[in-house]
Amino acid sequence: MPSAIEVHALSKRFGPVRAVEQLTFEVPEGRVTGFLGPNGSGKTTTLRILLGLVSATAGTATFGGRRYVDLEHPIRHVGAVLEATSFHPTRRAEDHLKSVAIGAGIPLSRVEETLDLVGLSDVARRRVGKFSLGMRQRLQLATALLGDPEILILDEPANGLDPQGIQWLRTFIRYQASLGHAVLVSSHLLSEMEETVDDVVIVSHGQLVLQTTLAELATRAGTSTGMRIRTPEVARLTAALAAVPVAWRQVAADTLVIDGATPEWFGPFAAQHQIVLYELVHERGSLEDVFLSLTHGFDAADPANMGGGQAGPAPMPGGPT
Amino acid sequence: MIAAIRSEWLKLRTTAVPWVLTGIALLINALLILVIFLSHDNGTGGPGGGGAFVSPGYTVPHTTQQLRNLVGSGFQGYILALLLGVLCITTEFRHKTVTTSFLVTPHRPRFVGGKLIFAAIAGAVLAVIMLVATVVGGGLTLAARGGSFSDMIHQLPAVAPGMILVFALFAILGVGIGSVLTNQVAALIVCLGWFIILEGILVQLVHSAEKWVPTGAATAAANLTRGRGSDFGLFNWWQGTLLMLAYGLVFAAVGSIILTRRDIT
Repeated sequence: MPSAIEVHALSKRFGPVRAVEQLTFEVPEGRVTGFLGPNGSGKTTTLRILLGLVSATAGTATFGGRRYVDLEHPIRHVGAVLEATSFHPTRRAEDHLKSVAIGAGIPLSRVEETLDLVGLSDVARRRVGKFSLGMRQRLQLATALLGDPEILILDEPANGLDPQGIQWLRTFIRYQASLGHAVLVSSHLLSEMEETVDDVVIVSHGQLVLQTTLAELATRAGTSTGMRIRTPEVARLTAALAAVPVAWRQVAADTLVIDGATPEWFGPFAAQHQIVLYELVHERGSLEDVFLSLTHGFDAADPANMGGGQAGPAPMPGGPT
Repeated sequence: MIAAIRSEWLKLRTTAVPWVLTGIALLINALLILVIFLSHDNGTGGPGGGGAFVSPGYTVPHTTQQLRNLVGSGFQGYILALLLGVLCITTEFRHKTVTTSFLVTPHRPRFVGGKLIFAAIAGAVLAVIMLVATVVGGGLTLAARGGSFSDMIHQLPAVAPGMILVFALFAILGVGIGSVLTNQVAALIVCLGWFIILEGILVQLVHSAEKWVPTGAATAAANLTRGRGSDFGLFNWWQGTLLMLAYGLVFAAVGSIILTRRDIT
């Protein structure tokens, strides 16, 4: 699958701050790529470098091998919704779009079309200074869509949208991908994105943690994290566990958690040792747990181990318990 | 290029900037016309220096120089052409619309270049508006007081081209300054501080600097069609024009370099 966006060994320093560090990832056509990471992880900086607004300290960020600044009429190829972009308060929504369309040689008929598309037709003649945050966000989206671009870059596009707006945005993003367009959408919440994205690029502290498909991430999330066992015979259980190579910890007077264990293994084990059980819970992680663990303690994680080749129970796609 | 100019015009006319500036320019123009006629009433001599003396027995401007002073009474509006140039670029930074502008035109020297061309045209248009207003307002007053409207019109070809040129040059200079000082308040303070206070002081201290400062260069450029050479120790019109243009373009070049290195975060 051809890559629409290629980020290669990208680094950016703001004085002593290393905002982006040796970041490499690709965004394929026809798919939605979630660009995920906590606030301050370098997502916005990376997107702004892609769009030629911020210069890179090292590395490249290109569209089909060309930098944004080298594209002819870039907004006809790449549409962008950025955080903290503002509009001139006395300018009407329609005039804002017209000025962009005229400057980029886009037919003025697109102004009405995009206003319609984002649901702002009724306020087209209203001054943007009176717009709510959600309306501004929609106007930004309309601006991004003016040139009917084949690549969309959306930085936290759900900000300020109401639940219907978010639902609409998801449908819209999926539709764009179905047209064969590449969509790169950033978020600090995986949960906000998990119904929308095909692939994920996870960053933390400006560095790549993991690039994989959502399906693989779900597999990882569905992986057993352990068994929670409540038993009146804690002493006998711990004695039995001493003979097998598993890690466990006692979390309450009558409760143990055995890391990495599965019911298929533990059930027979308990029967064999004739241990009475009151409660047996198979704990699995959610996507959000995986995301949080990846972005917090990712230094300890080895990306090579992730997403496949995992020992243990059968994958349970999409399986938060 | 036409697209860029149309886009700039749409951006500018949807702000208060051109309307407020044009309004101020016309107000000042009207006041100066009033002063000219009042000075003839009082016999105290008109503004504008050489040759503007009131002739005994006349209550209206009638000599060539007096009529030229009347036609060119809006000349002082060049300072507003300068502000027009400054505002047409600094407003983008003040309201952060520059992000969208840079997405449309990521090549920053091209962005500045578009502004320069647009501002030159806008400055020239401002001069034309003021000339038309002067011909209408000043001309009707002149005719009503028994002066010759057609004599005044005859002076238009001598005054208008120079004034239009100077306004365009000042607007270009404004864009240049605004591209270096993108902070709107700072740019306005620097412009007004220089042209209202500092430049005059400099010329008083170092008289030979007069022909080199922007106002001196612009005054020389204004002689485009007045058939005068380097009077008042100034350059001739094309030297003045080139010097003014050089000021504007050097600022714009420095501004383009600064903007190219600047991160828009």
